Amino acid sequence: MKAITANRLIDGEVVFWKAGAWVEGFGDAQLFDDAQDADVETVVAAAKAQPTVIVDPYPIDLAPVPGSVDGGLAPVSYRERIRALGPTNEPTHGKQAVGGEVIEALRHAAGAARSTGRVDLIRRK
Amino acid sequence: MYLYDPIDREFLIDRSNEFRHQVARRLAGELTDDQFKPLRLMNGLYLQLHAYMLRIAIPYGSLNARQARRLAWIARTYDKGYGHFTTRQNIQFNWIKLKDAPDILDALAEVDLHAIQTSGNCIRNVTADPYAGATAEEIDDPRVWSEVLRQWSTLHPEFSFLPRKFKIAITGALTDRAAVKVHDIGLILRKGRDGQIGFEVIVGGGQGRTPYVGPTIRSYLPAEHLLSYVEAILRVYNRHGRRDNIYKARIKILVAALGAEEFARQVEEEWGKIDAARANLPASELARVRAAFAQTNFEALPAVSETFEAARAASPALQRFVRNNVKPHKQSGYAIVEVSLKAIGQTPGDATAEQLEVVADLAERYSLDDLRVTHAQNLVLPHVKLDDLPTVHAALEAAGLATANIDLASDIIACPGLDYCALANARAIPIAQDIAKKFADPDRAEKVGELKIKISGCINACGHHHVAHIGILGVDKKGEEFYQLSLGGSGAEDASIGRILGPGLSADKVAPAIDALVDAYLNIRADDERFLDTYRRVGLEPFKEAVYAQAD
Repeated sequence: MKAITANRLIDGEVVFWKAGAWVEGFGDAQLFDDAQDADVETVVAAAKAQPTVIVDPYPIDLAPVPGSVDGGLAPVSYRERIRALGPTNEPTHGKQAVGGEVIEALRHAAGAARSTGRVDLIRRK
Repeated sequence: MYLYDPIDREFLIDRSNEFRHQVARRLAGELTDDQFKPLRLMNGLYLQLHAYMLRIAIPYGSLNARQARRLAWIARTYDKGYGHFTTRQNIQFNWIKLKDAPDILDALAEVDLHAIQTSGNCIRNVTADPYAGATAEEIDDPRVWSEVLRQWSTLHPEFSFLPRKFKIAITGALTDRAAVKVHDIGLILRKGRDGQIGFEVIVGGGQGRTPYVGPTIRSYLPAEHLLSYVEAILRVYNRHGRRDNIYKARIKILVAALGAEEFARQVEEEWGKIDAARANLPASELARVRAAFAQTNFEALPAVSETFEAARAASPALQRFVRNNVKPHKQSGYAIVEVSLKAIGQTPGDATAEQLEVVADLAERYSLDDLRVTHAQNLVLPHVKLDDLPTVHAALEAAGLATANIDLASDIIACPGLDYCALANARAIPIAQDIAKKFADPDRAEKVGELKIKISGCINACGHHHVAHIGILGVDKKGEEFYQLSLGGSGAEDASIGRILGPGLSADKVAPAIDALVDAYLNIRADDERFLDTYRRVGLEPFKEAVYAQAD
């Protein structure tokens, strides 16, 4: 599974693609299954055509949270989980402040992997 | 301290207005992101993981109360109520919105602050000994020369597009609190045989991917030639520094490739071509700058304060604070007071708006309106009367700022790491918090003594791990956060680069490993050896055994 993320231009907020719009909560992100890679590419291209709304759009890989009963998903990459939550040293700062099931699932997701966002960032330098 | 004149102030207002228009054009789509990015970076504005980050220059780590209060106001108004002091004596705000950045720059300009040259391939904010003008050790006040370099390098047209960023640090004391040997240029003030003042010039030190302790290319440069000589160094670098590979673009790579002798020869040759009368600072201008730092109105006081001695005798907490955080002052009856931003369990280098206001008040009332930032992410009240020490200590204690741990194991340097930084591979702050908790017992921390632990979340080494007694580098190993330990580094006058201890450790194994290293040290230390001295005597082996035997 994949989702598409970016940072909002005007304030830097982490946002996710949802049916033509950008939402702040990871739990509201539109999900793309593995058969929809072409759709992901189309959306990333569309996002890149919105330079006054967001910067640096890219897809992220998602995986089921181990032990989650309802098949909750979390970004595979540690970096992306921190982007979806906020900093781990300040549990009341950023998106995690609202609490709830999605936040808890993200906090309990294990494992980590390189984020495609970071790889792109290095390539651009 | 140095004060801006009307030309400086007008310039900052113009610069802020220029950026306001650039932001408006970006938001309107008249500038692409590729066009805008270098413009925002020239104003210290980075895009990090959660928001924009604004890095504000604090020239040679020196603030007055009004400036500190303005930083507190910015923290409260535009951030989440705190700021983060960096290893280059600057402050960063982590939660800035692009739309607010021009207003923040206006607010900074009103108190003679800005964010210019806190990013980009230019000469960055010049750093200096935070005890400048207060320590008896110094040959001359490094702030005078830092200010000369600041004015000269600000928007210097020839040196605004160097191969890579360029960092200069200055100390006037032999005890190096500015890490001068791991900067692009490190300057140590020296007294010449003729009694005049000059500099030992060190070039090509650095950390990052390829760490070097910089070699001295000139043991004594008469001070009046500073600008022409630095210009010669930068010209050689600007011409021959590598622009083809970002990892090989710093001056340290050029100096290492040429060899220090050949590099020095090229600098001398270039220096010979420079019109010294044009390039060097006129004596009248130097005198003007010097006068701005000479107006410290110390009172004539006895060396012993009865008020202080009585309070100290009655308070073990004050005794501990004095042992660790209070340093001798050049002026009789005064002391230098270090304010730790490393309370156990807190984020290293973070200060809340309220804490900034407390130290601003203390600086104004008890430290001649002078506040310093250290490269170890702490603050300094440089001129506190011994008579006032008990009051200052009590006020710091009430604000959670009296942790008596300067240079002890819990005084950890940590970069923002993967919790905030777009470049990081691993988190640094939670590792620092875990380790600090192991030394929460102040008696244990004092028993261990000086132990500089420094953590970086990636190889760029903002957390100075290469020059730590125990360095910790966060890496991404097969997709997980791992931490590589190194021992024996120092960023002080006995500078050295640490050596890697062994295989990386998972996050939960780092604090126990530090514990094991410290226990091993306590078992084998001779007399009052520091951890670093013991390591230098016995080498890696006993420490390797302590960590990896335990990990097995």
